[in-house]
Amino acid sequence: MSDDAADVQRVLAGDVDAYAALVDRYYDRCARFAVRMLGNRDDAEDALQATFLRAYRALHRYQERDRFSAWLYRILVNQCRSIAARRSHRERVFVREEALLLNAPDRTPNWTGEEEEFVQRVLAELDPLLREAFLLKHIEEMSYEEMSALTGVGVSALKMRVKRACDRLRERWERIKND
Amino acid sequence: MTDSELHPYVELIAREARRPVFTDRMGRDRVMAAIHAEPVPRRHVRLWERVLEPRSFRLSPAGSALIAAGLVGIGVIAGVTSTNRDVRSPDGQLPVADVRSHLPVSDTVVNFVFIAPQATNVSIVGDFNGWDATKTPLVRAANSGRWTVTLPLTAGRHLYSYVVDGAWNADPNAPIAPDDGFGHSSSVKIVSRGSAL
Repeated sequence: MSDDAADVQRVLAGDVDAYAALVDRYYDRCARFAVRMLGNRDDAEDALQATFLRAYRALHRYQERDRFSAWLYRILVNQCRSIAARRSHRERVFVREEALLLNAPDRTPNWTGEEEEFVQRVLAELDPLLREAFLLKHIEEMSYEEMSALTGVGVSALKMRVKRACDRLRERWERIKND
Repeated sequence: MTDSELHPYVELIAREARRPVFTDRMGRDRVMAAIHAEPVPRRHVRLWERVLEPRSFRLSPAGSALIAAGLVGIGVIAGVTSTNRDVRSPDGQLPVADVRSHLPVSDTVVNFVFIAPQATNVSIVGDFNGWDATKTPLVRAANSGRWTVTLPLTAGRHLYSYVVDGAWNADPNAPIAPDDGFGHSSSVKIVSRGSAL
């Protein structure tokens, strides 16, 4: 039995604190996806809170034959989609939130901040569905089968989205080069 | 496309995006505070699991003898009443009641139909098969886009969805279940008690 499955069993047996081990194990990885996907920490934290809470409420439905990380990611991806849809009519607060992120007191050592701002801006230019597919493939390094299982989208459609995301980024490079 | 095939600029973006983001401890604490305010989730134990759960019990020697005598008596009676008894009809068919007893335990059978002319693979997932897309494939009718499967179901409310070439689809002809938080639309089927045939 994996560590994840053992922790789930402990929670279901009444040991609520065992859930903290699962939160610790996956919080940073989920945070990276949420920040990259949503572009700011407030929305990302909302997504993380909702994800871990929903996962807890649905823990009795988790099947041990599934990987816990994939199951959790399925919830996270949907929370990010919901939050992105809710804020679509809201003014973008990207720049201000980025400034807060970069001024965080104990950020990763040797982190210049310039790369962070740069990568967030570039990702934000991608259509959300292309960004989601690109992040799952090239940042979370999932297989297309894993991506399909957690998004409910077919493998060929996902391949097309990743290819289009890469094409958009390459076009951006061409524009920069020619300016 | 593999990483090795990525354009250098795309690889640069991917590499930078793979860096961890800053998270504060308070975020995890807030998660756990919310968790502690929730009721403890419990795994649902089905009735048959409770019935089949192994139990130990104590029995006195007198009680054991009494039960043994009772079992012997039941065996004798059953032997007498079943001697030379053939339940088959003259043409060798089992009576209807016996045919029914060979069906899975269910309250009725339900025919599921999904129209998908372009699909190459359709299956059904639901609470009745553990939401496993490999367990219950639908069969395509010859020269049509009509996919069907017939399932024995117990009475009650069932949630289900069709998986069409890997993508989940709610049944367009059935009520939609509330969002389960996993992004998959499910449909609702209410099954009442009826004939299994």
